[in-house]
Amino acid sequence: MLKAEITKARREFLIRVSLSLEEGSAVGLFGASGAGKSTILACIAGIEEPDEGYIELNGVKLFPPPLPLHKRPIGYLTQEPALFPHLSVSENVCFGVPRNEEKRYRDWIATLREKLQLAPLWNAPASQLSGGQARRVGLARMLAPQPQLVLLDEPFAGLDRQHVRELIDDLVLWNQTMRFTMIAVDHQAEVLKRLCPRQAMVLECGQIVQSGTWSELCSAPATPSLRSLLAPL
Amino acid sequence: MTLSRRWMARIGAAMFAAALLYPLIALLARIGPWQWDAQVRATTLSSIQVSLLLTAYAMLVIVALGTPVAAYIARCGTRERLFWQALLLIPILLPPLALGILLTLAFGPYGSLGAWLQHYGVATTNSATAFVVTQVYVGMGYYVLGAVAAFDAVPRMLEKQAALLGLTPTQVFWRVTLPLSRLGLAVALSIAWVRTIGEFGAVVVTAYYPSGMPVQLWVNLQSFGLPAVMPLLVAFLAVALPLPWLFHVLAQRQRHAQG
Repeated sequence: MLKAEITKARREFLIRVSLSLEEGSAVGLFGASGAGKSTILACIAGIEEPDEGYIELNGVKLFPPPLPLHKRPIGYLTQEPALFPHLSVSENVCFGVPRNEEKRYRDWIATLREKLQLAPLWNAPASQLSGGQARRVGLARMLAPQPQLVLLDEPFAGLDRQHVRELIDDLVLWNQTMRFTMIAVDHQAEVLKRLCPRQAMVLECGQIVQSGTWSELCSAPATPSLRSLLAPL
Repeated sequence: MTLSRRWMARIGAAMFAAALLYPLIALLARIGPWQWDAQVRATTLSSIQVSLLLTAYAMLVIVALGTPVAAYIARCGTRERLFWQALLLIPILLPPLALGILLTLAFGPYGSLGAWLQHYGVATTNSATAFVVTQVYVGMGYYVLGAVAAFDAVPRMLEKQAALLGLTPTQVFWRVTLPLSRLGLAVALSIAWVRTIGEFGAVVVTAYYPSGMPVQLWVNLQSFGLPAVMPLLVAFLAVALPLPWLFHVLAQRQRHAQG
Protein backbone atom coordinates (compact mmCIF):
# COMPACT_ATOMS: atom_id res chain seq x y z
CA MET A 1 0.00 0.00 0.00
CA LEU A 2 1.24 3.47 -0.86
CA LYS A 3 0.44 6.32 1.52
CA ALA A 4 1.79 9.74 0.85
CA GLU A 5 1.35 13.38 1.64
CA ILE A 6 3.56 15.55 -0.46
CA THR A 7 4.14 19.27 -0.20
CA LYS A 8 6.55 20.83 -2.63
CA ALA A 9 6.94 24.47 -3.54
CA ARG A 10 7.30 25.30 -7.17
CA ARG A 11 7.92 28.69 -8.65
CA GLU A 12 4.34 29.13 -9.84
CA PHE A 13 2.37 27.29 -7.14
CA LEU A 14 2.52 24.93 -4.18
CA ILE A 15 2.05 21.24 -4.81
CA ARG A 16 0.06 19.65 -2.01
CA VAL A 17 -1.38 16.18 -2.55
CA SER A 18 -2.47 13.25 -0.45
CA LEU A 19 -2.44 9.73 -1.89
CA SER A 20 -3.57 6.40 -0.55
CA LEU A 21 -3.35 3.47 -2.95
CA GLU A 22 -4.10 -0.18 -2.33
CA GLU A 23 -1.50 -2.76 -3.31
CA GLY A 24 -1.96 -3.74 -6.94
CA SER A 25 -4.05 -0.72 -7.83
CA ALA A 26 -3.45 1.41 -10.90
CA VAL A 27 -4.07 5.14 -10.80
CA GLY A 28 -3.92 7.62 -13.62
CA LEU A 29 -2.71 11.06 -12.59
CA PHE A 30 -4.24 13.34 -15.15
CA GLY A 31 -3.85 17.03 -15.80
CA ALA A 32 -2.55 19.67 -18.14
CA SER A 33 1.17 20.05 -18.80
CA GLY A 34 2.86 21.83 -15.92
CA ALA A 35 0.25 20.87 -13.31
CA GLY A 36 2.88 19.18 -11.13
CA LYS A 37 2.23 15.54 -12.09
CA SER A 38 5.85 14.69 -12.89
CA THR A 39 7.08 16.40 -9.73
CA ILE A 40 4.83 14.16 -7.64
CA LEU A 41 6.21 11.04 -9.33
CA ALA A 42 9.77 12.32 -8.95
CA CYS A 43 9.16 12.88 -5.23
CA ILE A 44 7.81 9.37 -4.77
CA ALA A 45 10.71 7.91 -6.78
CA GLY A 46 13.23 9.90 -4.75
CA ILE A 47 14.58 11.88 -7.69
CA GLU A 48 13.27 15.03 -5.97
CA GLU A 49 12.69 15.63 -2.29
CA PRO A 50 9.38 16.93 -0.92
CA ASP A 51 9.53 20.02 1.27
CA GLU A 52 7.15 18.45 3.77
CA GLY A 53 5.01 15.37 4.20
CA TYR A 54 5.66 11.64 4.22
CA ILE A 55 5.77 8.74 1.80
CA GLU A 56 5.31 5.15 2.87
CA LEU A 57 5.25 2.06 0.67
CA ASN A 58 4.10 -1.27 2.09
CA GLY A 59 5.13 -0.23 5.57
CA VAL A 60 8.56 1.08 4.51
CA LYS A 61 9.10 4.78 5.07
CA LEU A 62 10.51 6.42 1.94
CA PHE A 63 10.39 9.96 3.35
CA PRO A 64 11.33 11.50 5.76
CA PRO A 65 14.23 10.94 5.99
CA PRO A 66 14.74 10.22 2.31
CA LEU A 67 15.44 6.52 1.80
CA PRO A 68 18.43 6.05 -0.55
CA LEU A 69 17.34 5.33 -4.11
CA HIS A 70 18.85 1.85 -4.19
CA LYS A 71 16.69 0.76 -1.25
CA ARG A 72 13.42 1.79 -2.89
CA PRO A 73 11.52 -1.06 -4.57
CA ILE A 74 10.37 1.31 -7.29
CA GLY A 75 10.40 1.19 -11.06
CA TYR A 76 10.44 4.60 -12.70
CA LEU A 77 10.03 5.10 -16.42
CA THR A 78 10.10 8.51 -18.01
CA GLN A 79 9.71 9.89 -21.50
CA GLU A 80 13.45 9.44 -21.93
CA PRO A 81 14.09 5.76 -21.17
CA ALA A 82 17.66 6.61 -20.06
CA LEU A 83 19.19 3.36 -21.25
CA PHE A 84 22.82 2.69 -20.44
CA PRO A 85 24.46 3.41 -23.80
CA HIS A 86 27.60 1.39 -23.07
CA LEU A 87 25.60 -1.81 -22.55
CA SER A 88 23.67 -4.13 -24.85
CA VAL A 89 19.90 -4.54 -24.70
CA SER A 90 20.19 -7.75 -22.67
CA GLU A 91 22.60 -6.12 -20.22
CA ASN A 92 20.23 -3.19 -19.84
CA VAL A 93 17.25 -5.44 -19.20
CA CYS A 94 19.12 -7.57 -16.64
CA PHE A 95 20.84 -4.57 -15.02
CA GLY A 96 18.64 -4.47 -11.94
CA VAL A 97 18.43 -8.22 -11.41
CA PRO A 98 20.45 -9.15 -8.32
CA ARG A 99 23.64 -10.87 -9.44
CA ASN A 100 23.21 -13.99 -7.35
CA GLU A 101 19.55 -14.43 -8.20
CA GLU A 102 19.66 -14.63 -11.99
CA LYS A 103 18.14 -18.13 -11.99
CA ARG A 104 15.08 -17.00 -10.08
CA TYR A 105 14.43 -14.26 -12.65
CA ARG A 106 15.24 -16.29 -15.76
CA ASP A 107 11.64 -17.13 -16.72
CA TRP A 108 10.46 -13.61 -16.02
CA ILE A 109 13.20 -12.11 -18.20
CA ALA A 110 12.29 -14.56 -20.96
CA THR A 111 8.65 -13.44 -20.69
CA LEU A 112 9.62 -9.77 -20.92
CA ARG A 113 11.87 -10.51 -23.87
CA GLU A 114 9.10 -12.31 -25.72
CA LYS A 115 6.16 -10.05 -24.88
CA LEU A 116 8.08 -6.84 -25.59
CA GLN A 117 9.54 -8.31 -28.80
CA LEU A 118 13.12 -7.79 -27.73
CA ALA A 119 14.56 -11.06 -29.09
CA PRO A 120 15.83 -9.57 -32.38
CA LEU A 121 17.49 -6.72 -30.46
CA TRP A 122 18.81 -8.78 -27.56
CA ASN A 123 22.51 -8.38 -28.31
CA ALA A 124 22.32 -4.98 -30.01
CA PRO A 125 24.00 -1.97 -28.40
CA ALA A 126 21.45 0.15 -26.56
CA SER A 127 22.90 3.27 -28.17
CA GLN A 128 21.66 2.19 -31.60
CA LEU A 129 17.97 1.69 -30.88
CA SER A 130 15.08 3.69 -32.28
CA GLY A 131 12.81 5.63 -29.91
CA GLY A 132 10.14 2.93 -29.80
CA GLN A 133 12.67 0.14 -29.29
CA ALA A 134 14.40 2.07 -26.52
CA ARG A 135 11.05 2.59 -24.77
CA ARG A 136 10.37 -1.17 -24.86
CA VAL A 137 13.82 -1.91 -23.47
CA GLY A 138 13.30 0.73 -20.77
CA LEU A 139 10.02 -0.88 -19.80
CA ALA A 140 11.62 -4.33 -19.64
CA ARG A 141 14.52 -3.01 -17.57
CA MET A 142 12.16 -1.32 -15.13
CA LEU A 143 10.01 -4.42 -14.69
CA ALA A 144 12.84 -6.99 -14.58
CA PRO A 145 13.59 -6.64 -10.83
CA GLN A 146 9.82 -6.91 -10.12
CA PRO A 147 9.31 -3.58 -8.33
CA GLN A 148 6.48 -3.15 -5.84
CA LEU A 149 5.60 0.25 -7.24
CA VAL A 150 5.72 1.30 -10.88
CA LEU A 151 5.80 4.98 -11.79
CA LEU A 152 5.21 5.93 -15.41
CA ASP A 153 5.85 9.51 -16.45
CA GLU A 154 4.44 9.89 -19.95
CA PRO A 155 6.39 6.86 -21.13
CA PHE A 156 4.52 6.58 -24.42
CA ALA A 157 4.93 10.13 -25.66
CA GLY A 158 5.95 10.22 -29.28
CA LEU A 159 5.19 6.55 -29.99
CA ASP A 160 2.76 5.43 -32.67
CA ARG A 161 -0.69 4.29 -31.54
CA GLN A 162 -0.14 0.63 -32.38
CA HIS A 163 2.97 0.51 -30.16
CA VAL A 164 1.22 2.39 -27.37
CA ARG A 165 -1.74 -0.02 -27.40
CA GLU A 166 0.54 -3.06 -27.24
CA LEU A 167 2.68 -1.67 -24.43
CA ILE A 168 -0.35 -0.60 -22.41
CA ASP A 169 -2.01 -4.00 -22.78
CA ASP A 170 1.17 -5.72 -21.55
CA LEU A 171 1.42 -3.36 -18.59
CA VAL A 172 -2.23 -3.84 -17.63
CA LEU A 173 -1.79 -7.62 -17.76
CA TRP A 174 1.34 -7.53 -15.59
CA ASN A 175 -0.26 -5.09 -13.18
CA GLN A 176 -3.07 -7.64 -12.65
CA THR A 177 -0.87 -10.73 -12.48
CA MET A 178 2.10 -9.37 -10.53
CA ARG A 179 0.09 -7.08 -8.28
CA PHE A 180 2.47 -4.12 -8.38
CA THR A 181 0.99 -0.75 -7.61
CA MET A 182 1.07 1.62 -10.56
CA ILE A 183 0.82 5.38 -10.95
CA ALA A 184 0.82 6.68 -14.48
CA VAL A 185 1.04 10.29 -15.52
CA ASP A 186 -0.08 11.63 -18.85
CA HIS A 187 -1.84 14.60 -20.31
CA GLN A 188 -3.70 12.39 -22.77
CA ALA A 189 -6.85 10.97 -21.22
CA GLU A 190 -7.17 8.11 -23.70
CA VAL A 191 -3.76 6.71 -22.70
CA LEU A 192 -4.62 6.78 -19.01
CA LYS A 193 -8.12 5.41 -19.53
CA ARG A 194 -6.65 2.31 -21.12
CA LEU A 195 -3.75 2.00 -18.69
CA CYS A 196 -5.62 2.72 -15.45
CA PRO A 197 -9.25 2.10 -16.34
CA ARG A 198 -10.64 2.12 -12.79
CA GLN A 199 -9.13 5.07 -10.99
CA ALA A 200 -8.05 8.56 -11.93
CA MET A 201 -6.95 11.68 -10.14
CA VAL A 202 -6.97 15.10 -11.69
CA LEU A 203 -4.27 17.58 -10.82
CA GLU A 204 -4.50 21.32 -11.39
CA CYS A 205 -1.84 23.75 -10.19
CA GLY A 206 -0.49 21.22 -7.72
CA GLN A 207 -3.84 20.27 -6.14
CA ILE A 208 -6.01 17.22 -6.73
CA VAL A 209 -9.29 18.72 -7.88
CA GLN A 210 -11.15 15.51 -8.54
CA SER A 211 -10.68 11.76 -8.19
CA GLY A 212 -12.86 8.82 -9.13
CA THR A 213 -13.60 6.59 -12.07
CA TRP A 214 -13.18 7.82 -15.61
CA SER A 215 -16.93 7.77 -16.19
CA GLU A 216 -17.41 10.01 -13.15
CA LEU A 217 -14.78 12.40 -14.43
CA CYS A 218 -16.24 12.49 -17.90
CA SER A 219 -19.84 12.87 -16.78
CA ALA A 220 -19.19 15.59 -14.19
CA PRO A 221 -15.82 17.27 -14.58
CA ALA A 222 -15.05 19.37 -11.51
CA THR A 223 -13.46 22.30 -13.29
CA PRO A 224 -13.78 24.03 -16.66
CA SER A 225 -10.16 23.20 -17.35
CA LEU A 226 -10.81 19.49 -16.85
CA ARG A 227 -13.89 19.68 -19.06
CA SER A 228 -11.72 21.20 -21.76
CA LEU A 229 -9.03 18.53 -21.34
CA LEU A 230 -11.56 15.71 -21.63
CA ALA A 231 -13.37 17.19 -24.62
CA PRO A 232 -12.70 15.48 -27.95
CA LEU A 233 -10.50 17.37 -30.41
CA MET B 1 32.19 31.10 -56.33
CA THR B 2 31.19 29.19 -53.21
CA LEU B 3 33.48 26.35 -54.21
CA SER B 4 36.49 28.59 -54.72
CA ARG B 5 35.81 30.24 -51.38
CA ARG B 6 35.79 26.85 -49.73
CA TRP B 7 39.11 26.02 -51.40
CA MET B 8 40.58 29.31 -50.25
CA ALA B 9 39.51 28.46 -46.71
CA ARG B 10 41.05 25.01 -47.05
CA ILE B 11 44.34 26.41 -48.30
CA GLY B 12 44.35 28.92 -45.45
CA ALA B 13 43.71 26.13 -42.92
CA ALA B 14 46.46 23.99 -44.48
CA MET B 15 48.94 26.87 -44.20
CA PHE B 16 47.95 27.33 -40.58
CA ALA B 17 48.51 23.61 -39.92
CA ALA B 18 51.89 23.70 -41.67
CA ALA B 19 52.96 26.66 -39.52
CA LEU B 20 51.78 24.85 -36.42
CA LEU B 21 53.77 21.72 -37.25
CA TYR B 22 56.79 23.60 -38.59
CA PRO B 23 58.88 23.23 -35.38
CA LEU B 24 58.84 19.44 -35.86
CA ILE B 25 60.78 19.91 -39.10
CA ALA B 26 63.64 21.07 -36.90
CA LEU B 27 64.25 17.39 -36.13
CA LEU B 28 65.76 17.27 -39.64
CA ALA B 29 67.87 20.38 -39.12
CA ARG B 30 71.45 20.19 -40.37
CA ILE B 31 73.37 20.26 -37.13
CA GLY B 32 75.87 17.58 -38.02
CA PRO B 33 75.87 13.96 -36.78
CA TRP B 34 73.91 13.33 -33.60
CA GLN B 35 76.10 12.60 -30.60
CA TRP B 36 75.50 9.15 -29.10
CA ASP B 37 78.78 8.23 -27.40
CA ALA B 38 79.03 6.32 -24.15
CA GLN B 39 78.86 9.42 -21.98
CA VAL B 40 75.69 10.76 -23.60
CA ARG B 41 74.11 7.30 -23.97
CA ALA B 42 74.37 6.40 -20.28
CA THR B 43 72.84 9.61 -18.98
CA THR B 44 70.20 9.69 -21.72
CA LEU B 45 69.00 6.12 -21.07
CA SER B 46 69.06 6.70 -17.35
CA SER B 47 66.95 9.87 -17.68
CA ILE B 48 64.39 8.05 -19.84
CA GLN B 49 64.14 5.34 -17.21
CA VAL B 50 63.80 7.89 -14.40
CA SER B 51 61.14 9.88 -16.22
CA LEU B 52 59.03 6.90 -17.27
CA LEU B 53 59.18 5.12 -13.93
CA LEU B 54 58.72 8.08 -11.62
CA THR B 55 56.08 9.73 -13.79
CA ALA B 56 54.19 6.42 -13.78
CA TYR B 57 54.31 6.45 -9.96
CA ALA B 58 53.12 10.06 -9.95
CA MET B 59 50.25 9.11 -12.26
CA LEU B 60 49.20 6.32 -9.91
CA VAL B 61 49.08 8.79 -7.02
CA ILE B 62 47.25 11.37 -9.13
CA VAL B 63 44.60 8.85 -10.27
CA ALA B 64 44.19 7.28 -6.83
CA LEU B 65 43.72 10.63 -5.07
CA GLY B 66 42.32 12.72 -7.90
CA THR B 67 39.52 10.43 -9.13
CA PRO B 68 37.50 10.35 -5.89
CA VAL B 69 38.08 14.08 -5.41
CA ALA B 70 36.86 14.75 -8.96
CA ALA B 71 33.81 12.53 -8.40
CA TYR B 72 33.07 14.50 -5.24
CA ILE B 73 33.47 17.89 -6.94
CA ALA B 74 31.26 16.82 -9.83
CA ARG B 75 28.41 16.25 -7.32
CA CYS B 76 28.98 19.51 -5.40
CA GLY B 77 26.68 22.51 -5.50
CA THR B 78 27.70 25.46 -7.65
CA ARG B 79 29.34 27.49 -4.87
CA GLU B 80 31.42 24.64 -3.47
CA ARG B 81 32.40 23.57 -6.97
CA LEU B 82 33.65 27.07 -7.77
CA PHE B 83 35.73 26.99 -4.60
CA TRP B 84 37.35 23.67 -5.56
CA GLN B 85 37.96 24.76 -9.13
CA ALA B 86 39.62 27.96 -7.93
CA LEU B 87 41.76 25.92 -5.57
CA LEU B 88 42.84 23.48 -8.27
CA LEU B 89 43.81 26.34 -10.54
CA ILE B 90 46.46 27.52 -8.09
CA PRO B 91 49.11 24.85 -8.82
CA ILE B 92 48.22 25.10 -12.53
CA LEU B 93 48.72 28.86 -12.66
CA LEU B 94 51.78 29.02 -10.43
CA PRO B 95 54.91 29.67 -12.49
CA PRO B 96 56.79 26.32 -12.48
CA LEU B 97 59.95 27.78 -10.99
CA ALA B 98 57.96 29.40 -8.18
CA LEU B 99 56.18 26.11 -7.53
CA GLY B 100 59.55 24.34 -7.32
CA ILE B 101 60.87 26.87 -4.80
CA LEU B 102 57.67 26.69 -2.74
CA LEU B 103 57.83 22.90 -2.71
CA THR B 104 61.48 22.98 -1.65
CA LEU B 105 60.66 25.35 1.18
CA ALA B 106 57.61 23.37 2.24
CA PHE B 107 59.03 19.86 1.97
CA GLY B 108 62.75 20.60 2.27
CA PRO B 109 64.78 20.73 5.46
CA TYR B 110 63.67 24.36 6.10
CA GLY B 111 60.06 23.38 6.75
CA SER B 112 58.86 21.46 9.79
CA LEU B 113 57.26 18.75 7.64
CA GLY B 114 60.43 18.33 5.59
CA ALA B 115 62.59 18.23 8.71
CA TRP B 116 60.28 15.66 10.25
CA LEU B 117 60.38 13.51 7.11
CA GLN B 118 64.15 13.75 6.90
CA HIS B 119 64.36 12.71 10.53
CA TYR B 120 62.66 9.48 9.47
CA GLY B 121 65.01 9.02 6.52
CA VAL B 122 62.75 10.36 3.74
CA ALA B 123 64.85 12.63 1.53
CA THR B 124 62.58 15.40 0.32
CA THR B 125 64.97 17.11 -2.06
CA ASN B 126 67.02 15.66 -4.89
CA SER B 127 65.44 12.24 -4.52
CA ALA B 128 62.91 10.04 -6.26
CA THR B 129 60.37 11.05 -3.60
CA ALA B 130 60.93 14.74 -4.33
CA PHE B 131 60.61 14.03 -8.06
CA VAL B 132 57.27 12.21 -7.63
CA VAL B 133 55.88 14.74 -5.14
CA THR B 134 56.71 17.60 -7.52
CA GLN B 135 55.08 15.83 -10.43
CA VAL B 136 51.98 15.12 -8.38
CA TYR B 137 51.66 18.83 -7.57
CA VAL B 138 52.24 19.74 -11.20
CA GLY B 139 49.76 17.26 -12.68
CA MET B 140 47.01 16.96 -10.08
CA GLY B 141 45.08 20.10 -11.04
CA TYR B 142 45.06 19.16 -14.73
CA TYR B 143 43.82 15.65 -14.00
CA VAL B 144 41.15 16.60 -11.49
CA LEU B 145 39.68 19.42 -13.60
CA GLY B 146 39.62 17.11 -16.64
CA ALA B 147 38.08 14.30 -14.58
CA VAL B 148 35.38 16.63 -13.23
CA ALA B 149 34.47 17.52 -16.82
CA ALA B 150 34.40 13.80 -17.70
CA PHE B 151 32.06 13.02 -14.79
CA ASP B 152 29.90 16.04 -15.64
CA ALA B 153 29.31 14.57 -19.08
CA VAL B 154 27.58 11.51 -17.61
CA PRO B 155 23.82 12.22 -17.50
CA ARG B 156 22.64 12.28 -13.86
CA MET B 157 19.44 10.51 -14.82
CA LEU B 158 21.41 7.40 -15.80
CA GLU B 159 23.01 7.27 -12.38
CA LYS B 160 19.64 7.77 -10.68
CA GLN B 161 18.05 5.06 -12.80
CA ALA B 162 20.88 2.70 -11.89
CA ALA B 163 20.32 3.50 -8.20
CA LEU B 164 16.58 2.89 -8.54
CA LEU B 165 17.44 -0.48 -10.07
CA GLY B 166 19.07 -1.38 -6.77
CA LEU B 167 22.71 -0.39 -7.20
CA THR B 168 24.55 1.18 -4.29
CA PRO B 169 26.41 4.45 -4.97
CA THR B 170 29.70 2.53 -5.27
CA GLN B 171 28.18 0.08 -7.74
CA VAL B 172 26.70 2.97 -9.73
CA PHE B 173 30.16 4.51 -9.94
CA TRP B 174 31.82 1.33 -11.18
CA ARG B 175 29.05 0.14 -13.51
CA VAL B 176 27.74 3.43 -14.95
CA THR B 177 29.77 6.53 -14.14
CA LEU B 178 33.22 5.10 -14.76
CA PRO B 179 32.47 3.26 -18.04
CA LEU B 180 30.71 6.32 -19.43
CA SER B 181 33.46 8.72 -18.43
CA ARG B 182 36.47 6.52 -19.19
CA LEU B 183 37.51 8.29 -22.36
CA GLY B 184 37.24 11.69 -20.68
CA LEU B 185 39.30 10.36 -17.79
CA ALA B 186 41.88 9.01 -20.22
CA VAL B 187 42.11 12.45 -21.84
CA ALA B 188 42.51 14.07 -18.40
CA LEU B 189 45.19 11.55 -17.48
CA SER B 190 47.02 12.02 -20.75
CA ILE B 191 47.10 15.80 -20.24
CA ALA B 192 48.44 15.29 -16.73
CA TRP B 193 50.98 12.80 -18.12
CA VAL B 194 52.32 15.10 -20.81
CA ARG B 195 52.38 18.03 -18.40
CA THR B 196 54.26 16.17 -15.67
CA ILE B 197 56.71 14.23 -17.80
CA GLY B 198 57.65 17.48 -19.51
CA GLU B 199 57.94 19.52 -16.31
CA PHE B 200 61.28 21.28 -16.03
CA GLY B 201 60.95 24.46 -13.97
CA ALA B 202 59.68 22.91 -10.74
CA VAL B 203 61.63 19.65 -11.01
CA VAL B 204 64.96 21.34 -11.66
CA VAL B 205 64.63 23.01 -8.24
CA THR B 206 63.30 20.10 -6.20
CA ALA B 207 64.90 17.10 -7.92
CA TYR B 208 67.89 17.94 -10.06
CA TYR B 209 68.87 14.40 -9.21
CA PRO B 210 67.70 11.87 -10.26
CA SER B 211 67.60 13.65 -13.62
CA GLY B 212 64.54 13.04 -15.71
CA MET B 213 64.36 13.76 -19.42
CA PRO B 214 63.71 17.53 -19.28
CA VAL B 215 66.58 18.16 -16.86
CA GLN B 216 68.87 15.85 -18.84
CA LEU B 217 67.98 17.65 -22.06
CA TRP B 218 69.02 20.90 -20.49
CA VAL B 219 72.24 19.36 -19.08
CA ASN B 220 73.10 17.84 -22.47
CA LEU B 221 72.42 21.14 -24.18
CA GLN B 222 74.64 23.01 -21.74
CA SER B 223 77.44 20.42 -21.69
CA PHE B 224 77.61 19.06 -25.23
CA GLY B 225 75.43 21.22 -27.48
CA LEU B 226 72.60 20.41 -29.87
CA PRO B 227 73.93 17.12 -31.39
CA ALA B 228 73.84 15.51 -27.96
CA VAL B 229 70.28 16.69 -27.37
CA MET B 230 68.68 15.22 -30.48
CA PRO B 231 68.44 11.50 -29.51
CA LEU B 232 66.88 12.37 -26.16
CA LEU B 233 64.59 14.91 -27.82
CA VAL B 234 63.25 12.21 -30.15
CA ALA B 235 62.73 9.86 -27.20
CA PHE B 236 61.07 12.66 -25.25
CA LEU B 237 58.60 13.36 -28.03
CA ALA B 238 57.93 9.64 -28.50
CA VAL B 239 56.88 9.09 -24.88
CA ALA B 240 55.11 12.41 -24.37
CA LEU B 241 53.12 12.93 -27.54
CA PRO B 242 51.42 9.81 -28.98
CA LEU B 243 49.28 8.74 -26.02
CA PRO B 244 47.60 12.09 -25.33
CA TRP B 245 47.21 12.67 -29.04
CA LEU B 246 45.48 9.31 -29.52
CA PHE B 247 43.13 9.81 -26.55
CA HIS B 248 42.16 13.25 -27.79
CA VAL B 249 41.43 11.97 -31.27
CA LEU B 250 39.34 9.10 -29.85
CA ALA B 251 37.46 11.46 -27.54
CA GLN B 252 36.68 13.81 -30.43
CA ARG B 253 35.48 10.86 -32.52
CA GLN B 254 33.20 9.68 -29.73
CA ARG B 255 31.83 13.19 -29.27
CA HIS B 256 31.03 13.40 -32.97
CA ALA B 257 29.44 9.94 -32.96
CA GLN B 258 27.21 10.90 -30.02
CA GLY B 259 26.39 14.29 -31.49
